[in-house]
Amino acid sequence: MNRIGLALLIAAASLPARAAIPAEEDDCLSCHGTDKTMTLDLPSGEKVSLFVDQEVFAKSVHGDMLRCTECHADKTGYPHDSKPFKTRRDVAVAFYEQCKKCHFANYTKTLDGVHYALMAKGNTHAALCVDCHGSHAITRPAEPRTRISETCAGCHEPVYETYTKSVHGKALLAGSQDVPVCTDCHRAHDIPDPRSGALSLRTAEICGRCHTNEKLMSKYGLSTKVVDTYLSDFHGMAATLQKGKQKGEGIRLAAGCTDCHGVHDIQKTDDPTSHVLQANLVQTCRKCHPDANANFPAAWLSHYEPSWQKAPLVYAVQLFYKFIIPFMVAGIVLQIALHLWRVVVNR
Amino acid sequence: MSEYLVRFSLKQRIEHLATMLIFTGLCLTGLPQKFYTAGWAQWTVRVVGGVDNARWIHRALGIALAVSTLAHFAGAFAAIVARKTGFNIVPTQKDFKDAIDTLKYYLGLSDRPAEFDRYDYKQKWEYWGLVVGNVIMIASGLILFYPTVAARIMPGQVIPAAKVAHSNEGLMAFLVITIWHIFNAHLNPDVFPFDTSIFTGKISRERMEHEHPLELARMEGGAAREHGGASAAHAGHKMG
Repeated sequence: MNRIGLALLIAAASLPARAAIPAEEDDCLSCHGTDKTMTLDLPSGEKVSLFVDQEVFAKSVHGDMLRCTECHADKTGYPHDSKPFKTRRDVAVAFYEQCKKCHFANYTKTLDGVHYALMAKGNTHAALCVDCHGSHAITRPAEPRTRISETCAGCHEPVYETYTKSVHGKALLAGSQDVPVCTDCHRAHDIPDPRSGALSLRTAEICGRCHTNEKLMSKYGLSTKVVDTYLSDFHGMAATLQKGKQKGEGIRLAAGCTDCHGVHDIQKTDDPTSHVLQANLVQTCRKCHPDANANFPAAWLSHYEPSWQKAPLVYAVQLFYKFIIPFMVAGIVLQIALHLWRVVVNR
Repeated sequence: MSEYLVRFSLKQRIEHLATMLIFTGLCLTGLPQKFYTAGWAQWTVRVVGGVDNARWIHRALGIALAVSTLAHFAGAFAAIVARKTGFNIVPTQKDFKDAIDTLKYYLGLSDRPAEFDRYDYKQKWEYWGLVVGNVIMIASGLILFYPTVAARIMPGQVIPAAKVAHSNEGLMAFLVITIWHIFNAHLNPDVFPFDTSIFTGKISRERMEHEHPLELARMEGGAAREHGGASAAHAGHKMG
């Protein structure tokens, strides 16, 4: 016991001091922290500033944790060997793998994400760690919460514009902490490709995280039965059995939440522009059922459970079978039991 | 070796075999859609290559069932018109009496069960259950197959009602067949382990005496009258 304790103590004592800036001030920052005009001139004509604002870095999440060389690992002496970067993007891509030394879990998640998949196909514009998080000025990404969607807007501006006009986006900008931002639905690191349809098949679960939360929904007077009623209907059944499938030749995926309610433009159901407002519903059905007529939307019970008030015909049929099935089964089982009893008695 | 009589014609045997295979296929591709959250259901759907395949197989078999049902009705209608067969599957007052008498016998209130003609009340009940069930399944199935066409001629609410009917009627048919039919055709001590007559068309004279004495008497009486004592088996064949 004692020997292990002693070993730990020695190990702890021999760790390098975690006060990065003071230790390296004289080395790196004597040049990079003073000359604001210092740049790296690239063949593309772009200039990358080599100035590091000490105050900004000190306030960042890494300010009292990292030495310059922990990320800039190749800069071990002076003069530096300069890598043959052609463009500013080359510089960012070259530093992409630096984060994984510490943030391995999130790094591996990105390998399953759509941005990595695009980069692997040769698209250098796909977002890297630093594109969302920044480099020397990294702060907590969700402080304030609006920052997340603004970060994505850096590249996905049109989607962001649509989102800010939706019921969720408007509430977010008004200061609500309840509504989803981009990453709540799309995730942050292992972002699935939304175009494959796999994401829309999972919307019952994704939207359900908030929309089945009794406490949260009661605040807005919304029903929490929306997911159950969807799942017990044809679309919910089909989507459940199609889980993991992707859109493709001859493969039509069952409608999920977003196929009717909209994706980034979701509105309150009584908003005139809502895709599920009674007046707009036929148009929405026609996205998948092109020859739907005005009667057709009534086939969907609008997330209501059948009752005498809502869908009396459906309720009547349901009620009929609720009685007839047990009656039939009990009847034949009783008859079989009596038959066998008679056979036994006769022997 | 006991004497055998012909009970079912080749047409009837083929109809039974077709119904049996189609019904099994419909259950295998239909019930997993009803119980889609269960592991066995998802396994079955995976085996047939996904829910879309399951649905196409289900629809094709549904159409086959519809065709065989229509062919059955047409055949029965033609046979009745040509007076080749009577209404021997239609329930009569005697069937209600038979049911009560048989229950009394089971309960020990009488010494003898009822005596039956060509079809007993249980068989008639199962036959008409199947006929009515088929009509419900085919009608509701077509509505679910062509929902937008259905909405053009009916209120939209008929579509979810058809879904509830199709799903429950299908389950009921499955339960009745697995409990009732399997008992009567396999586990019933009279026929255990397997009543083969619907496959071979033949039934032993011994069983006819026991299960359909009125038909046997009618057959032999009729045969005696018509052919002056020709074989009962031949007369039985004519009955089919």
